[in-house]
Amino acid sequence: MTGEVVERGISLRGVVKTYGATLALAGVDLDLKPGEVLGIAGPNGAGKSTLVRMIAGEERPTLGKLTFDGIPWSPVEEWKAVAVVHQEPQLFPNLTVAQNVMVGRENSGRKRPALSDADAAVMDALGIGHLRDKPLEDCSLATQQRTEIARAVARDCKVFLFDEPNSALTAEESDELFREMHKLAQSGRIVVLVTHRLADFVAHCSRVAIVRDGKVRVILENEALTEDGIARQLVTESATTVAATNRDGSRLADREPVFRTRGWTHRNSFQQIDMEGRPGEITALFGVEGSGARELLRSLAGLEQCTGTVQIGDLQGLSALDKLTAYVPATRQLSLYSNFSVGENLLVRLGYPEIAGAGYMLKVRQMKSLAQTAVTRFLVKTGTTTQPIRSLSGGNQQKVAIAQALHCAPRLLLLEEPTRGVDIHSKAEIYRLLRDYADQGNAVVIFCTEVLEVYEAADKVHVVSQGRLLPSLEVGGFDQVEQLATAVMSLEQSGRPEAA
Amino acid sequence: MTRTETAQTAATRPSMALAGKATVDVALRLGGLFAAIIVVALIFIFINPNIANLNMAGSVLRSMSSVAIMALGLTLVIVVGEIDLSFGAIYGLAINALAVLWVVNGVPVYLAIPVAIVIGALVGLFNGVLVTQLKIPSFIVTLGSYNLLYGITLWVSNTATYNPAYPPPGKTVPQGELDFFVGLTQAVGSFRLSLEVIWMIGIAIVVGLLLHRSLFGFRLMAIGGNPAAAALARLPVRSYKVMAFVLCGALAAIAGVLDFSFIQTSQPNTGLSATFPVFAAVIIGGASLSGGKGTVIGTLGGALLLAELQLGLSILSPGAHVQQIFLGAVTIGAVALDLFLTKLRKSRAT
Repeated sequence: MTGEVVERGISLRGVVKTYGATLALAGVDLDLKPGEVLGIAGPNGAGKSTLVRMIAGEERPTLGKLTFDGIPWSPVEEWKAVAVVHQEPQLFPNLTVAQNVMVGRENSGRKRPALSDADAAVMDALGIGHLRDKPLEDCSLATQQRTEIARAVARDCKVFLFDEPNSALTAEESDELFREMHKLAQSGRIVVLVTHRLADFVAHCSRVAIVRDGKVRVILENEALTEDGIARQLVTESATTVAATNRDGSRLADREPVFRTRGWTHRNSFQQIDMEGRPGEITALFGVEGSGARELLRSLAGLEQCTGTVQIGDLQGLSALDKLTAYVPATRQLSLYSNFSVGENLLVRLGYPEIAGAGYMLKVRQMKSLAQTAVTRFLVKTGTTTQPIRSLSGGNQQKVAIAQALHCAPRLLLLEEPTRGVDIHSKAEIYRLLRDYADQGNAVVIFCTEVLEVYEAADKVHVVSQGRLLPSLEVGGFDQVEQLATAVMSLEQSGRPEAA
Repeated sequence: MTRTETAQTAATRPSMALAGKATVDVALRLGGLFAAIIVVALIFIFINPNIANLNMAGSVLRSMSSVAIMALGLTLVIVVGEIDLSFGAIYGLAINALAVLWVVNGVPVYLAIPVAIVIGALVGLFNGVLVTQLKIPSFIVTLGSYNLLYGITLWVSNTATYNPAYPPPGKTVPQGELDFFVGLTQAVGSFRLSLEVIWMIGIAIVVGLLLHRSLFGFRLMAIGGNPAAAALARLPVRSYKVMAFVLCGALAAIAGVLDFSFIQTSQPNTGLSATFPVFAAVIIGGASLSGGKGTVIGTLGGALLLAELQLGLSILSPGAHVQQIFLGAVTIGAVALDLFLTKLRKSRAT
């Protein structure tokens, strides 16, 4: 590895970031030292992603300062010093691997650029030298990430941010990726890892900073750095008491299940899933990316091809999934219509006869009053129903996305990470919406990547690991979220093969 | 000329009085377009005061009508997020199919017209099915069917021109049928307004109801705005896209039949040059090529502005090149204006 070695690293002092009235970062102090791998962990909406975006130069701090080796530093202007390795590499798929490494630094005037010896050495060191003339789009995701790293090393980046880098990699590929990560750290660069896999923090980081409520609450290192320790720190103090009611499992036990799957199997994500949900019950599926939990939820929405039987109410199979379930995707880009107003977004999944009457003509007046009702019922904070959807805050947009699905009156409501990127206040309101809907005799299933969300929203949780559904835990049986975190982590670890 | 235009801007005024913020925004958007229509009219009248009469206004409306009818169909396709390049060829095929069926083969015109329109709808179905089932981009599908249809048109018409008033040797066209056909677009009233304008207005009202007041239109807008979300929400994405293509094809065929009735001569290559003016009308009217945006009143305004420019410039006759240059400049200018007004609206919102 070549390149200049950073001496003392990056320091953040009193960094504050506000978006309108929302405080995303409330005074962060953090030191990033060269030569170590620093982990950053935090629950959704705690400010973790804002912090990472700030180090990556995508955001400017509202207050506070960043220094690099003691010198005031703005990653926004010196973005070339920072490389972000995303889950989805930001590269040019139509160019070859070597061209991707060169592009932007060709420096050859009018000649067609040729690969320099230094670049070739970097690529060889990363083990992609032999692939240099292959179009990037034909390469595996792991190779693409290496190309991204090579590109950053070649332009002499000093800071490497790994943002959920291995969520789509195989175990072997991610091991190799982490080896490269450690090499970068050993060469004196600053390396930051952000992931949902707590095991990776323990295995690869020397320190892990826990971000909660816009601050770095604690930095775990040495003996304190365990999966259980991180899991507890992630949830502690921040649990709200919204969902503490309705946790009495016995109340639900004698009711006929709303839905039931038997031998539910997906070709490559999960096998032989038997699960059920009773009326009034919110079930969480907990699992990291690649565990099959997300695919299981999507399969219940009829979006994945599966074998086995499924029954919802009186209906069986695909028709049951089509008619009686509604699905809310994780990203709002997949549920909101930017060309529509708030009101139109709320009503978009309705049809005849709710918003259209004779001859499928719209009932304009009815739509207005329905939209008004929905805004009140789903606690959407908006001036009018006719303003554009983009004018709402993230939390309120998410409520609109959920309201769309609830308007279909599904017996089984399916949500992917329902509070991702949502502020604390909206979070509590969203959980209340879900609880109310379940109480009307419906079943709700949510896919979670965070124990805190499980604790706040769900009645029971199934950990999904390696495509298998582990026996459920009753959330009501835990007095404290830390205990639940411990239990979930130990289940997760037991479901994992020895390799990791 | 000015009178008809102020009548149309007046129509937007009561909605401004109702005034949700959104409707003001729409007015701001359309306001620019209709202001441009009035300004262009005033400039022409200033240069040549003689053209300010109702006959001229009627001519403008007549010459915009077939463009407007095709543009309305295209608006549906563009709103749903697809593109149709083949409507000009459908228009030509409809005219030539009608001519060959009726004038050459003696099929009664009352049957031949519906057949021509069904042919247009079938081509739309062909386009729509290829786009939705085989997932070929609509640009490519319709570019292909444009050439395909032109080839078929050359074949069925035998590259000849037909005029029902002067049928080919040995053929006769019954006088009653001819009168009926010519009557479809005859000039009526004291200032000789062609019936084609009435057809256009009727079609605009139907398409307007469909796009802005029906569940079909609401979902069309949703699908165009976010196709991935619409699919996840289980909206009928594919069938609605096919429907948009079918309607576009049928409307292009109707425009062809009406123009044939007015011009009374069919030509094998007719309609091919309509592609870009019709696109320009839709884009000037505020529809977005990325889908989810477009209005009937905007598209009509776009067609009106183009017709006005075309007729005005040809009367002032500085040469054909000027019309063409203006067509280009106005298309770019209108979109630039739209982007500017969008920015303005956004700054108002915050």
